Parts: sequence; C-alpha cells; structure tokens
Amino acid sequence: MKRILNWLLNYSWLSMILIVLISVFTFYWMKTNTTMETDLDEYMPKNHPAFIYSDEAEDIFNIKDGIIIAIENKEGVYNSNTLKKVKDLTKELQKLPEIEKDDVTSLYTADNIVGTEEGLDVKAFYKKTPKSNEKIYLLAENVRSNEMVDLRLVSDDETVTLVVANIHDDVFSQEFYQRILDISHSYEDDEHTLYVAGTPIVEGTLAYLAPKDMQKMVPIVIVVILIVLFLLLRSVKGTLLTFFVVIISTLWTFGLMAWLNIPIYSVSTMIPVMLIAIGVADGIHLFNHLQLHISQNPGVSKKDAIKNMINHMASPVIMTSITTAVGFVSLLTSQVYPIKYFGLFTAFGVMGAMLFSLVFIPAGLMIFGLPKASKSIKESKESNDNFAYRIAAFLLRHKIVSVYITVFIILISIVGMQKIWINSSFLDKFEKDSEIVLTDAFINEKFGGTSNINLILEAKQKDQFKDPETLRLVDLLQKNIEDSLDVVGDSFSLADYLRRMNKVMHADREDYNTIPNSKDLNAQYLLLYEMSGDPDNLWKVVNYDYSKLNVNIQLKSDDSKSIRSAIKIIEQYEDRFNELGVDVNYAGSGYKALVFTDLILEGQISSLILSLLIVMVLLSIMFRKIIVGLAATVPLILTAFISFGLMGALNIPLSTTTALLSSIAIGIGIDYAVHFVEQYRLNVSKGFNPLKTAQYTMYHSGRAISFNAIVVIAGFMVLLFSVFPPNRELGALISLNMFTSFLGTLTILLVILNYSKVFFKKKK
Amino acid sequence: MHIILIIIIFSGLLLTNEVKAEPVKLKVLCTQYDHKESMTNKLKSKENIKTKRIEIMKNLKFATFLLLVAMVGNESMAQNLTGQKIIENVYYRSTGSDGTSELSMHLIDSRDNERIRKIKQFSKDFGKEEKSIMFFLSPADVKNTSFMNWSYDDASRDDDQWIYLPALKKVKRISSDSKDDYFMGSDFTYDDLGDRHPDEDTHKLLREETIDGQQCYVVESTPKDEDYMYSKTITWVIKDIWIGLKKEFYDEDGDLLKILTVKKYEKIKDYWIISNTVMKNIQDDHTTKMILSNIQVDIGIDNNKFTERTMTRGL
Repeated sequence: MKRILNWLLNYSWLSMILIVLISVFTFYWMKTNTTMETDLDEYMPKNHPAFIYSDEAEDIFNIKDGIIIAIENKEGVYNSNTLKKVKDLTKELQKLPEIEKDDVTSLYTADNIVGTEEGLDVKAFYKKTPKSNEKIYLLAENVRSNEMVDLRLVSDDETVTLVVANIHDDVFSQEFYQRILDISHSYEDDEHTLYVAGTPIVEGTLAYLAPKDMQKMVPIVIVVILIVLFLLLRSVKGTLLTFFVVIISTLWTFGLMAWLNIPIYSVSTMIPVMLIAIGVADGIHLFNHLQLHISQNPGVSKKDAIKNMINHMASPVIMTSITTAVGFVSLLTSQVYPIKYFGLFTAFGVMGAMLFSLVFIPAGLMIFGLPKASKSIKESKESNDNFAYRIAAFLLRHKIVSVYITVFIILISIVGMQKIWINSSFLDKFEKDSEIVLTDAFINEKFGGTSNINLILEAKQKDQFKDPETLRLVDLLQKNIEDSLDVVGDSFSLADYLRRMNKVMHADREDYNTIPNSKDLNAQYLLLYEMSGDPDNLWKVVNYDYSKLNVNIQLKSDDSKSIRSAIKIIEQYEDRFNELGVDVNYAGSGYKALVFTDLILEGQISSLILSLLIVMVLLSIMFRKIIVGLAATVPLILTAFISFGLMGALNIPLSTTTALLSSIAIGIGIDYAVHFVEQYRLNVSKGFNPLKTAQYTMYHSGRAISFNAIVVIAGFMVLLFSVFPPNRELGALISLNMFTSFLGTLTILLVILNYSKVFFKKKK
Repeated sequence: MHIILIIIIFSGLLLTNEVKAEPVKLKVLCTQYDHKESMTNKLKSKENIKTKRIEIMKNLKFATFLLLVAMVGNESMAQNLTGQKIIENVYYRSTGSDGTSELSMHLIDSRDNERIRKIKQFSKDFGKEEKSIMFFLSPADVKNTSFMNWSYDDASRDDDQWIYLPALKKVKRISSDSKDDYFMGSDFTYDDLGDRHPDEDTHKLLREETIDGQQCYVVESTPKDEDYMYSKTITWVIKDIWIGLKKEFYDEDGDLLKILTVKKYEKIKDYWIISNTVMKNIQDDHTTKMILSNIQVDIGIDNNKFTERTMTRGL
C-alpha cells in the first residue's frame, strides 16, 4: 500500500487531474439526478408489523391526519358573517384536488342528530347561511345541545370554530401548505382571525425546514472550519488541500447516491456534517506529521518529506478510516432504510476521504510544494517546559486521579441517563415561539387536541361491537382516559353515536345518555342512523361487520410522554377486553411516530454496541493486543455515557437526530484513539521509556488531536445559531462529543496504556 | 311513438278505473294525468324499491298542460323524440297500482365485505299520496324493524316517515332533509331510486346506441339546480320498453362517480319490472346490488296495511 502511494507520487499531476475530473463529473451527475425525499412516511419500515397493522387500520377506517383551520371571532361565532365564512371555506376546501369532499368537517357539513318530541331528526345545522337572529339562535342552541359537535367544532367560549380537512400525508407539499395559508388568510378581516395547524402541517414543515436550514448552515460551518484550520496549520496549502479532500469525498458520496437513484432523506443531510468532521482529521494528522518532520529535519527534500509522511501516517489513516467506516456500516442493522443509507454512504465517504488524503494531499504537495514549518514548533522543540510534556508527566504522576475521575463521571452519567427520555414529537422540534407552535397551542387550548392516536379494538366475532357489555367497556375507557389525563382532550367512538341516539330517542333525556342494554337495540339504532344520517361517518369508527372498532383519542401534545401515558391507561383495560375476546391494538400517525422513534433508538443502541465490539476486535487485531482494543474503546464509552448522561440531566429528550449522534462519537472518537495508540507504539519501538513515550505521544499525536477537536468544535458551534432547534442540539452535542473524546483519549487512554505497559513487554 | 304514449295513457285510464273505487272526476285529462303520474311513480318505486318521498308534480295544471303539449307535439315530431320525452317516458312508465316484493340488498365495500339485508315491502298508491311499508327480515338483530313512508303529491309537503324499533317497542317519526341522502347506507340516493322528476333536469338526446343487444337512446340530463350533487347523468334507455338500462352519474367536478346497471327486468302482468340492479360507486369502490323476488303487482293491498299498528305487529 505504501509502495503504491509512493509510486503514485511520480504521477502527481495525473492523479490530481483524474480526481478533479471525476469530481466534476459526479458534481454534474449530482446536480441533475439528485432527488429529495421529504415524505416522513417513506422513512417508516413498511414491513414492520406495527406499521402494516396501522396502515391497514388507517385504510379500513379512513384514518387520516387533519389540517385544522380555526376561525376566531372574539365577538362569538354565532353570527351570519362567521357562519358564511365557515360555509365558504368548507366549500373551497372541498373543491381542492388534494382534498376529498367527504373529508372536510365543519359546522356546515356536520350531521345534527336531534331528538324531537316524536322521534329522531338528522340534518345539517345549516344549508343556507342563516340571516335572522331567531335562526342563528336556533342553530347555536342545536350545537350547544349536541355533545357530538359542541366543543369538537365550536370552542367552549364560542369564539372559535373549526374546519378540519383530512388529507393523505403524501398529498402534503409546501406549495399545498402555502395554498391553504393563502386561502385561510383570504377569509380574514377585522373581526376574524384564521389559524392553520395539524399534524400534516407540522410534519410537512419539519421535513421541509430541516434540510433547508442545514443547507444554509453547512456553508457557514465550512467557512469557520477553514478559518480555524488555517489558524492552526498556519498554511494555506495545508488548509486548502485538507478542505478539498472533505469536499471531494462529500461530492463523490452524493454523486454515488444520485447514480444509484437513492433520494436524499433528511438524515442524509447530516452526511456532509459527518464527513467534514471526520475528513479533516486525516488531513490534520498528515500535516501535523509533515510539519513536525520538517521542523525536526530542516532542509529535507520535498519528496523525502512526503514519503516520510506517507510511511508514518498511512497506517493510522487507513486504520482510523476503516474503523470509522465500520462504525457507520453497523447502522445497517437499523430497520429504517434512510438510516441504513446514511450509514452506508457515510462509510463510503469516509473511505473516500481516506483515499483522497493519501493520494490527493501528497499529489498536491508534490505540485504546490511543502508548507512552511510553523515557528511555534521550532521554538518549542525539545523544550522541557513544553506544555504537552508537562501534561503527560502530570497525568502519569497522578494516574489514579484520572481513573477516579473517569469512574466518577461514568457513575454520574449513569444517574443522568436514568432520566433520559425519548421524544417522537415533531412539534417539539420547532422554536417555542414559532407560529406553528403558537397556533397549535391556541387550538389545543380551545379544543380537544391537535394530535391523535387511534385505539383499534378487534373482535374475533362479527357484530361484537353491537354488544352492550363490550361497548360499555369502551365507553368506560373513554371516560377514564379523558378524566384522568389532562393531555387527553377528547375521545370519540361508536359509543358516542349510540349514547347520542339513545338519548335522542328518549326525548333528549340525559339519563338515557348511556349505551343501550340490548344488542338488538344497538343494531336497530345503527340501522336507523344509516337510514337517516351519513353512513360514511359510521365507517370511520367501526368496520363493516362490526368486528373492528376505532376509538379516536385526541391529545393536546404529540410528545412520547403524552402518548405513552394514554397507552398506559388503555393497557389497564387490556385484560378486560381480552376476556371479551377483543384484542387491543393501535394505529395512526402519532402511534407510528412513537414506534418509529423506538425503532430508531433500538437500532441506534444495537448498532452502537455492535460498532464498539467491532472496533474493539479490529483494534485488537491491528495492534495485535487485546488490551489495546479494550483501552481504545474507553474514551468512546466515556463519550457516549457523558453524552447520554448530560441529555438526561438537562432534560434533552432523545430524538431521531440526537440518537444518530452516537455514531459520530464513535466515528471520530476512534480516530483519536487510533492515532494516539499508533504514535504511542512508534515511540515505544524507538526505545523511549514510559514517561518519554507518553510525552512524545502527547506532543505529536496530542497536538493533531487537539487541532482536530478545535476545528470541528469551532465548526459545529456555528450550528448553535441555527434557527432550527434540532440543528442547534446537533451542533451542541457534536461539539460536546468531540470534546469528551478528545479529553478522554489524551487522559484516560494514556493512563491505561501506561498502566498496562502494553508494547513494552517485547523489549523487556 | 305517439301511439305508445296513448296506449300508456289509455292503460293508465283503465287502471284508474280498476283501482279507484270512486274516481275523482275532474277534467278527464286531469284525472288521467293524476293517476297516470302517481301510479307510475308508485310502481316505479316498487321496481326500484323506492320507499321515501316521492317527488310529485309541483303543479297539476302545469302537468296537464305538459301532457297536452306532449301529445300534440308528438303528432308533429313523430320519430323525433326529444331527450325530455324519453326521460318522461321512463318516469311515467306504469308498473302497477300496488305491489309487494322481497328485496335483498347487498352492500359490498372496497374490501369485498358484503352485508345482506332482506326486506319485505308493500306499497300502494292512494291518489294524492303514496304509501309504502317495509319490514326487515334479516339480519337477525334488526328483524321486524319496520319503516313506513308516506309521500305526497303536494311538493311543499315533506314526506312523513316512521320507524319502529322492536327492541325499543316504539314507533318513532324520523325526518331527513335531503334528496341527496343515501338510501339505507346503499349507493342509491332517493333520487337515484326514481324519485327525480324529469323537469328538474334539462335532457338532451345524444345518440342512439345498441348495448347488450338492446337498442337504446342515450340521454344526457343536466340539473337545473347548480348545487345538485351530480353535474350530469347519462342514461341508456331501451327503446319502446322505457327502462333505463344503464346510467352514469357524474359528480360536481364532472368526474364519473357511479354506474347503475340493470341486470334483469321482467314482464309481470302487463308491466315491465326491473328486478335486479347494481349500483357501483367508482370513486369509493363500493357496490350495492338490489335483487327483487316474489314480485306481485295489482294484488289489492288493504288500505289499512299502512299504519303504525301494522308496523308494530310485524309481518
């Protein structure tokens, strides 16, 4: 390998031009062929049982997420003007090609089941907008007395009314959202304010905003990294060559993606981020060595210096790249395709960065000449009060302190980790004072909730959901979940229909607001409803042969804690349902998001452990010492622990973005360890004593590692200024991970290596 | 053509004499028309299992006038039938003065789940009003549930409807305010079942065409009311028999919504009765089959059949 690399030096121009040409080609390929995937459903593993079930249930009951448009009139909604707006808006939405007519619900479309003295009456609340006060009063009274509609479509204080349009989530696009906003705003005037919210809006906006913000932030990250890189390397050539390595490897990665027709998912937007962080490491280590070599051997020829660099650094660069790539490849264990792709392509990019570091950088140096040795290196050379030497000496003198501190940090982290929680909420990813969050809060305050989970009850027998006992249990569950959880604002099922029918058929007497006692009566009420109302409404809560039931539970928050608290209550009823021969299942976007998050984390944790093991084995083989494999993973484990511990302590929930970060912790952390151990081994083989070995290693490798850490941390601190909270978290956590990896490698790893007397044995 | 019309009217006259014990003697044509019209309605309702709210002529005089015009016009038009005429022929086709049958209604959803309801039904024309009553035979949990409908010639008067729920042991009045309502959860609206009066649409004869070996007039009907649930319908009417063999319904956006196909029609006594129809909703992939059996016409059903008492007593 080294021979090939040395031989390649003779053809610097050729290899350089070739790489640049291919890069230009991939750039064009990428420009023309790249597609973005913003539909969050595409992330879900389609063949996972929970998703199959949910999709099936969504199909049976026509469960869709609703775009909620709230019309607010502070003077109250019961007036001809507001009612006309409700009607017009409803009709306008119904005419949109993305929305099916039956999927728009408002006061204008709602069925009013009312009891009359003689019997039952199902009709619309209004067809023609009521003008006279009496008619408006009558309408208001009708709504107030109908608990199936009141508080669901009109707020308690009667200042807000809703128009809900259910859509398939694949329908949602930014253009569509904009159109909905434009339509809504066109209904505003002095009296009326309109708000648009709902899960499709939140998800759609998120899927759109995340990559967009990343696009904006990445160039700034690059500029900052360039500046810091230059400040550290003090060499324009070194900075630019390192930078090009990163850019080219990113280009090739996305080019390959485009070539394979794999769309860019929103996680994929993190690939450049990863490659920047990892790719600069190779360059920094190469230049670090080169500069040290030049300063130690003034007047060395260009070719000899480069050859020395290759001979010394090729192994650690190859080793670090392979271990990093393996860490990312382990993401293939994830069930989520975008994450598999993310792992695979990042690994490809890492290998690319390795290749370019070893070919492109030497070629560049051959052509453009060596960088100047930095002055600071010359001055501090062999100086005993060198900072690195002093630190190394100090660490070895107080070895036990490092061990204690490490153990202490791990213990503290474990405490912190207890509090860690997972959040599948999409809404929480937005700024607390963003319009989308405020609108959502406004509607949640006035109504049952903007998020839904669907409880799917499945009986083995036909017509089970006409059975009074089963229905009463459903009713009881609904009451319990509504009463005991603040976050549950409302629930809706077939039981509501039957209670309403029963009451209405008994002259609106409140004591009949119960599930009827006989199965036949339930069946007859339902037949009656089918005859007088819109049976399509019925098929949203029960299936054709009354063996499956959909209980819709409305939540005021879409975070995992809320969803789990609701599921917990439902689980208390599971045994009783099972006794009746009824299975309990869940469906809907909220539930899917929850399962999805669990899947990602599960995958994340398993791939984290897997990659740790692989890295351990790989390092043990590379250095032919098991202890080295074990020692090198200590800083990684430490990084992961601190990262998770701190998140727990600071109440930062794990989410899809933050969970992915463990990969970077390993990917980058391992680089530090490999470089450090390799340098340590070299120094031992040169015959230095343990203290000198430690000091030289700290000086040589420690310098490169701290450069690398400073560059990446500086670069990612930029993300702290992102307008998009998940990207801010990303920046903070990457910086934190880099810092702990860096610190762990230089302290505890050195201490363990020293303790274990590894590499020294042969000599003695 | 006018011969057929005259025959129909004539047969209507004969029927009138048969059925009506004490014929109301207005102007001859008037009576003629009145009976013809209401009878056709009722009979048609039978063939289509129509039970609720029959849209009756808004104005008797106007109807008479129309009929006169039609008869006179027919003379001159001879072979040139207008779309209006064809649809009227369908609307006024006689199917007897009273009748009973067993209806089996198959509701099939997009996943091919099927629900079957069996209903025994009776209907009778009372001149100014049309009464029908139906009893559920199955499924078991709604057995003996009965439903009664009185519809009136007077268009300003809403239908009266009652339902008897045996589990509640009470007869309740129900009302529903729209002709767009689907009949018992089926794919038929009350209008689709034959309730829609020809004058509510403008009709255009598009062409003549042979389908299923039957020579048909193809007529496009566009509602005069812009807010109606269909933007248009196209009907294939069998020549001389005046049965709409096939009908396409287009939604408000002009997209095909439903297709009605007559699978079977038979001659019972002197009437052509449709006994098997399929309505398929293309957009929802939902299908309703209506199959009539044990059809009997002109059997002289007792006037007292159509009361709340009968409803509670069951079959």
